[in-house]
Amino acid sequence: MIRREQVRGRLELHAPLAEAVLTSFIRDAVETSGTQGVVVGLSGGVDSSLSAALAARALGPERVHGFLLPYRTSSPESERDARAVAGHLGIPHRVIDISPMVDAYFAMEPDAPAERRGNKMARERMTILFDQAKKLDALVLGTSNKTEILLGYSTVFGDNASSLNPLGDLYKCQIWQLSRHLGLPSEVIDKAPSADLWPGQTDEGELGFSYETADEVLYLLFDLGLRPEEVAARGYEERVVRRIVSLEQRFRFKRRLMLIARLSGSAVNLDQEIPRD
Amino acid sequence: MLASAPIMAESPTLLKIGLAQIDGRLGDVERNAERHLDWIARAREAGVDLLIFPELSLTGYRLLHLTPRVALPLGSPVLARLAEAAGPMHVVVGFVEEGERGVLHNSAVLLAGGKAAHVHRKLYLPTYGIFQEERFFGAGRQLETLRLPWGTAGLLICEDLWHPELARRLAVAGTKLMIVVSAAPGRIGAGALPESHESWETLTRATALLNTCWVVYCNRVGWEEGSFYPGGSHIVRPGGEIAGRAPLLEEHLLVTEIDLRDSDRLRWRLPLLDDERFDIEGPAA
Repeated sequence: MIRREQVRGRLELHAPLAEAVLTSFIRDAVETSGTQGVVVGLSGGVDSSLSAALAARALGPERVHGFLLPYRTSSPESERDARAVAGHLGIPHRVIDISPMVDAYFAMEPDAPAERRGNKMARERMTILFDQAKKLDALVLGTSNKTEILLGYSTVFGDNASSLNPLGDLYKCQIWQLSRHLGLPSEVIDKAPSADLWPGQTDEGELGFSYETADEVLYLLFDLGLRPEEVAARGYEERVVRRIVSLEQRFRFKRRLMLIARLSGSAVNLDQEIPRD
Repeated sequence: MLASAPIMAESPTLLKIGLAQIDGRLGDVERNAERHLDWIARAREAGVDLLIFPELSLTGYRLLHLTPRVALPLGSPVLARLAEAAGPMHVVVGFVEEGERGVLHNSAVLLAGGKAAHVHRKLYLPTYGIFQEERFFGAGRQLETLRLPWGTAGLLICEDLWHPELARRLAVAGTKLMIVVSAAPGRIGAGALPESHESWETLTRATALLNTCWVVYCNRVGWEEGSFYPGGSHIVRPGGEIAGRAPLLEEHLLVTEIDLRDSDRLRWRLPLLDDERFDIEGPAA
């Protein structure tokens, strides 16, 4: 049975093959949909940078439209890094400040706490990306990775909304590995992951464990089918394993959108699973 | 002294086989049939004798509740059109068959002489992980060999090969050419080839070794519902050596000349099939 020190190696990917498969995914989705390209929100973080880099290789940089969507409290480093990535990839990009829209709403909800404000920002960005996609005859490129999807660490109908997502079956450590392979700027790869929804926020601080641990525990639970106690027995802190299991259970709803009440015996998605392709 | 036969006589066991490693559009039989006609024309130009298309090549694989909408009876004009276009060439095509008794089958049909000459209905329907075949298909009940002009062949669909007694039974019944059509999704890991492909090659090579026959494996390419098919179609000599490989991830026509006599030659030296015993008792399952 697998030992803890072997898990990291199991998560290794053959980067050139992963690149070939994921670029073919993006090309196929764009060609099948008959659209001209993709739009992607660039946060300056590693996930959106990798998504954009794969799309630029798949479609050519001119068909990848980057959008920097800062709020007035967003960290200036985020915007700086996002610009650096867009420049590095040679993709057209544009900055749209979301502060006026978000502030207009919260002027009517002045007591809203940071989490609600953060969610609103994520959804504001989503509406802009889908609108720009319509304008540019493009698809919205997703940037959520497998670790955050399993942990439910996203805003539902916000950053988790997209038309296609090349990263959704990659754990965070695989995101880093592939990003190094594609030669993304090191400051983007090496910085602490953050949703940047409020100053000083970091993913690992908020989650209470490192991505390294999360990836390994999730791999053991979901890819290998170990039980939580079997994972803990391999030397992972029990408190962390329990928290990961509970996050996964609590946020399952974010992965299955549209809960439809079945009445007829031919309910969409339940009785009638019609492929989207 | 025996009268000597002409040494240069053309071998009737020699054929040019073509593997059409194609993509398809899910649920669009008309468009897929048009694409089949293009590949049939290309194969005829290349002098192919036997052309193989992947599993469910006419319909796409992951049909789910679209399955009944794309089903065709064996007498369908779509198949007749492909058979006619094939001319003297033999062609294997994958489709959803509207069977008798109101059952749909995941079938592969051999088109020859302008008509459907043989149909194989998939015997093992995977219903686990990403696969849901038993929800939509009925399993076949019959295993038969095919008499081809070059020798005896067997036809298996994807999961059928993972139940090795089928290939064994076909081989014991004289099969020298095992035709395996597939819509096998890809998985990748640390290796330079998809892990799924490594499994398939292990399986086809073991089949060719244990059954001392040729194995041709035709897998599709393309994407459906976020899942990719890597292709990697290939041809294995009796004994397990790879005789030809199509590239990964792209459409391709792999054409290779093979001699079914090679299977006999190996069997004379390695009589595994002749030694096979079906009378050994125990252990209880």
